[in-house]
Amino acid sequence: MAVNVAELIDALPEVDQDEATPSGGVVTEALATILSDRPVPTGSMRRLSLLGGLQAKIAVAYGFHWLRGWFQDADQRERDLKETHFKTALKMLDSMGYLRGAVMKVGQTLANFPDVAPDGLVQTLDKLHFQAQPMHFSLLRETVINELGDEPHNLFAEFDETAFAAASLGQVHRARLKTGQQVAVKIQYPGIARTIRSDFRNLVPLLLPSRLTGDWQNLKDQVEFARRGIEMETDYTREAETQMRVRRLFFEEDGIVVPQVYPEFSTDRIITMDYLEGDHLDALLAKNPSQDERNDYALKLTRAGSRMVYHGRMNNVDVHAGNYLFMPDGRLGLIDFGCVIRIESDAMWELYGRLHRAMMTGEDSSIREVMMEWQQLTDSPSDAEHLRLSTEFGKLVWKPYYSPGPFDYGDREYLQRGIDLMAEHMKNRCTRSHPTNLMQARWHVGWWMMFYRLGAIIDPAPIVNEETTVTGWEGC
Amino acid sequence: MRVSAKTKEATRQKVLQVSQDLFNSEGFRETTSRDLAKAAGIAAGTIFNYFPTKEAIVLQLVCDALENAEATFNRRVRPESTLEEDLFLYVSTGLRQLQPMRGFVGPAFETHLGPACGGDANELGDRIRTSHVEMVSGLLSKHGHDEPPTAVHLQMYWLLYTGVLAFWAKDQSRKQEDTLALLDQSIKMFVNWYLAG
Ligand SMILES: Nc1ncnc2c1ncn2[C@@H]1O[C@H](COP(=O)(O)OP(=O)(O)OP(=O)(O)O)[C@@H](O)[C@H]1O
Ligand SMILES: [Mg+2]
Repeated sequence: MAVNVAELIDALPEVDQDEATPSGGVVTEALATILSDRPVPTGSMRRLSLLGGLQAKIAVAYGFHWLRGWFQDADQRERDLKETHFKTALKMLDSMGYLRGAVMKVGQTLANFPDVAPDGLVQTLDKLHFQAQPMHFSLLRETVINELGDEPHNLFAEFDETAFAAASLGQVHRARLKTGQQVAVKIQYPGIARTIRSDFRNLVPLLLPSRLTGDWQNLKDQVEFARRGIEMETDYTREAETQMRVRRLFFEEDGIVVPQVYPEFSTDRIITMDYLEGDHLDALLAKNPSQDERNDYALKLTRAGSRMVYHGRMNNVDVHAGNYLFMPDGRLGLIDFGCVIRIESDAMWELYGRLHRAMMTGEDSSIREVMMEWQQLTDSPSDAEHLRLSTEFGKLVWKPYYSPGPFDYGDREYLQRGIDLMAEHMKNRCTRSHPTNLMQARWHVGWWMMFYRLGAIIDPAPIVNEETTVTGWEGC
Repeated sequence: MRVSAKTKEATRQKVLQVSQDLFNSEGFRETTSRDLAKAAGIAAGTIFNYFPTKEAIVLQLVCDALENAEATFNRRVRPESTLEEDLFLYVSTGLRQLQPMRGFVGPAFETHLGPACGGDANELGDRIRTSHVEMVSGLLSKHGHDEPPTAVHLQMYWLLYTGVLAFWAKDQSRKQEDTLALLDQSIKMFVNWYLAG
């Protein structure tokens, strides 16, 4: 259902370009240069050198300028203008090659924070489904030489020149090490990390509403969380390190594999790791796996998630089907550790322990108090709705664990209730007290979605209980 | 005693070598002709027999590096690559060869290679431009564009190319990765524009 950018541009109303130009020094000037119909800005060299990062910056600026307008209750005329802004931004996006990835990443990350980026954006981004243009082999070679000091064909016994998969900020190539090991080499687009980070810094002032609202602090918190998320995703060194850490959590008998990282072929821009043979969820389902196979994978997914949380004190918040590989021998492959949050604070960990134990009872009376603490809520009537929603959401998350016997994840109503609750959370702005709430809610929904599609019918409780024993939490 | 052509060439190479070292370690401005002569082991006045100015030395270094790059490019280029890939590789190979002099070549680019200096009487600048443009024409024809590119095409190409050079000389990003991104966009832009007629 992905909409082509060109179609979208066509669909938007035509407005005079002059009107579309936003106020504000550099942006206007550079835009005038870039938007002019001349194929390349003629004249000064200085202008020419603006093109690289700036074009991307402006497109983002433009997009968010539009976005910001969405906040304020604009009248119709203004709203038309906003659409033009967006249209212009899209036009530029369309011509930006792989730098589009940067723009999308900023947008998608912000989409997790509804007070910053309203619904409209999320839906638009989802529909557009930008696919970054791959790097051609000459660019790739230069990047590899810069990063690893030699041509790919000298470093590796074999190196596939065409990427076999797209990553959000780069692409993944198959290769064979000189030792014979089959590897996947994930390579980041040059300049993209810095572009994203600096765009983000520069755009925050643009984003914040001009009229001060009472929610200033909350807004700032959300922006800060979004910024951290972005830094995390662009940091391949951190990702590789997390991956090595997670890998140590799993053993052969688990049937769960985390690819080994090869540090001598990994840098800030490249991660080289074992290649895992396997299917994504779609491909697996297309093969009509038996109920037993589905259940087995679901049990492994449960084990993988629990192991990371309870043993590793970390949480992979980027739950989507692309990050799991269903291997032909029945093992589960875990990839992509770009969005792993570590629970560093002991106080937080202890509180989480109490929340978990309360949740395992499934009883409102035990849950209420600890939920208030977890969500930083009070007894006041203004918090009542928030508390009710959080409690219900929490119970839904833990339901498969505290309900006796096998749980049917294929139950449409269960999934629907989760999605509705998340929407209600957003509507009631329950993300206010904890900027990460929504991220966590999305994480749970992502998780449910996978189990739902797998149509698993399993009792996850024994696994969860087994995995929590290591925490030393009383009663686990 | 007459200086043989061979000795003369050796001295010339020596001057080029010490210039690159001193420009890098001491800075282009800070290095005097006297410093260069001393480091090359020749009399202060003699250096002018080889190069009239420090700028001329820089231009010679650039010219030599780009000539070497040509050979390297011919080794690296692959028969099955696209026009875009070839043009990209040609420029990036040149940049790699220029890498040891990145700290001090910026001004020379602007003075001698920029579009503004047009048909100026600098012989080396012309040589660099001519051989680069010939290579580009050759690549266009390798990819089936047999009509020679027009002056406007080449002017446009040169504008983009020198823009990339200027950007690269000042690029602060990690391993000049931003230059790679800019080069990629510039080449795409040129190819699209060229193909559009
Ligand atoms: N070790 C591997 N073995 C096999 N396939 C892999 C491996 N690593 C990555 N891939 C493939 O590349 C795709 C993208 O990799 P990855 O998820 O790590 O990138 P990403 O940049 O984090 O993407 P996103 O943020 O969109 O999830 C995966 O969905 C998978 O198909
Ligand atoms: Mg992924």
